[in-house]
Amino acid sequence: MFRWAWKSLLTQKTGVFGSAAGVASAFILVIFFDAVFRGESTQIITYIEHTRPNIWVMQRGVSNMHMASSFLWDWKADKIATLPGVKQVTPILYLNSVVNIGDQKALSYVVGLEPGSARAGPWEMEAGRSLPKPGEAIIPAVMATLADIGIGDTVSITDKSFKVVGLSKDTYSMANSITFVTFKDLEDILSSTGTYSYLLVDTDEGVDANELSTRIMNDVEKINAMPHEEFIKSDYRMSMQMGLEIIFLMTVICSALATLIVGFTAYSQVMNKRRELAIAKALGMRNMSIVNSVIFQSVAITSLGFLMAVIFALTIIPRISTLVPQVSLLVSPSAFIQIGLVALVVAIVGSLIPAYYVSRLDPTSAFHV
Amino acid sequence: MSDSQLLTTTHLSKFFGSGHTEVRAVNDVSFDIAHSEIVLIMGPSGSGKTTLLSMIGGLLRPTSGIVKIDGTDITTLGESQLPAIRALKIGFIFQAFNLLDALTVEENILFPAQLRKGGINQARPRAKALIEKLGLTHRSKALPKTLSGGEKQRVAIARALINQPQLILADEPTGNLDSESGQEVLMILHDIARDEGCSVILVTHDPRVEDIADRILWLEDGALRDRKSEQHAWVRDPVCGMRVDEWTATLFNEYQGKRYAFCSKRCQERFAENPANYAEM
Repeated sequence: MFRWAWKSLLTQKTGVFGSAAGVASAFILVIFFDAVFRGESTQIITYIEHTRPNIWVMQRGVSNMHMASSFLWDWKADKIATLPGVKQVTPILYLNSVVNIGDQKALSYVVGLEPGSARAGPWEMEAGRSLPKPGEAIIPAVMATLADIGIGDTVSITDKSFKVVGLSKDTYSMANSITFVTFKDLEDILSSTGTYSYLLVDTDEGVDANELSTRIMNDVEKINAMPHEEFIKSDYRMSMQMGLEIIFLMTVICSALATLIVGFTAYSQVMNKRRELAIAKALGMRNMSIVNSVIFQSVAITSLGFLMAVIFALTIIPRISTLVPQVSLLVSPSAFIQIGLVALVVAIVGSLIPAYYVSRLDPTSAFHV
Repeated sequence: MSDSQLLTTTHLSKFFGSGHTEVRAVNDVSFDIAHSEIVLIMGPSGSGKTTLLSMIGGLLRPTSGIVKIDGTDITTLGESQLPAIRALKIGFIFQAFNLLDALTVEENILFPAQLRKGGINQARPRAKALIEKLGLTHRSKALPKTLSGGEKQRVAIARALINQPQLILADEPTGNLDSESGQEVLMILHDIARDEGCSVILVTHDPRVEDIADRILWLEDGALRDRKSEQHAWVRDPVCGMRVDEWTATLFNEYQGKRYAFCSKRCQERFAENPANYAEM
């Protein structure tokens, strides 16, 4: 029965391939949007990922960095530094802001670094220096390329101008990028003194970060301390959350589109072959067998579409990232699993109406000439 | 029913619609068919032949009456049991051949074998034997679209026989064939009844079939009647020259005010292509 269903499909190669391509297009859209959000979300946490202290300390009630504000009195950093198990405390000042580059504007984390604090600065440079001096800024190389500026040019944050002295690598995303200035310059922008935003705490060897985080929270009031892995997960979850609704909506729309395509193809197939299906019934095929053959055809078309989408995603999407470096794309295996499950649902839902039609088909029509 | 009867229909009726619009397609038909018997059901168009065949084949539920095949009353069987009866006890042969386009000759023949015990693999030797017997060896891997009408009907016959059914139901098996292929198919059906021991019910307008039939049932207005000899109105098919009963024929063309009857659709099509070539001057 399945052999017949398969060979019947192959007699209409163009139609089947066209339908599979339509299904693939819908799936590719979902995979692409998922890749954009995953890529951007991964890029958003890149600063946390690369600085990698054992513990992050921030204001109580704050549990992430993206789109967040945190203020800590400077004495709290001193107190934490004295706790047993703490090897080093690196304070940073941090602001979500807009960097003006010529007539362009770019959303950016602005990180204020203490003099000589390489611990919290850029991890890889394309050109120039990695630590700024007063009135200087390190900006992402991609941002500089897009704005067609280079070392020695000027950018501004709020009303303060900075001379670009370094171009960092791997610090740009469409949603956010990272600009480094001195601690003092960022204090001026924020009109604040004696406060930090986050503390990067490195522990002595063998110290459990979970236990030390708890101890820090017990000993220092109104702060939140999180082990690195927990903090990075929290920030990723927060940044993904902003895209999840859009990904979900796109998945629903594209799945509905794919279902329509599969349903239309399966229905056309059934209408074209209704006489043969009636013959099969007359010859003794059970309704369930014939319905299964219709579902099999839907699954075959959807699987072909899914396969085409996967091949496209694995071959073309990585090239987009190379050609358009400002777009961070990350194709995740979980996206394929998700689309695979969606494809299964699409195939079954798409075959419901054709299957119902087939189950009602009158076998006596086999006698009609 | 005696042991020699394979099929018995008792007061079989099928009505469509109700009240003033009720149509009695088959009305109180009773008859028996013995093992290995070839029975011809004839009658004018619309007399209920195909409806009767559909009920015997378990494709259509009667309004009333009984159909017993080999002792089993198929009218009492549920929808889930009828497919097995159709697949294992009955072989169908259709006027339009009804082969499955995507499958080869061999696959078409093996198609109903999926339902029998042992499935396709056990049926392969029989399929091979039938292919040889019906002269299709060189066409076993061919697709139906590449076959002639006669070859297609031979494949359909082999398909009907693959599960060794006790009853063959053939609806106008020569209707789409030229006279030579039609004659060949009739001889095959005759041999099947003799060699395979199965009964054959033929619904047809083709008077040649009378030569191979053991018995003829005449259906008129849904009921069995005696056929009178004067109800023949023999004319010649203008294309093949075969004798056609104008009274029971279904294929006609008008040309220059005269009506022509045809033995088969193929002859009718040939006539339509160039009527001047065949019409009487």
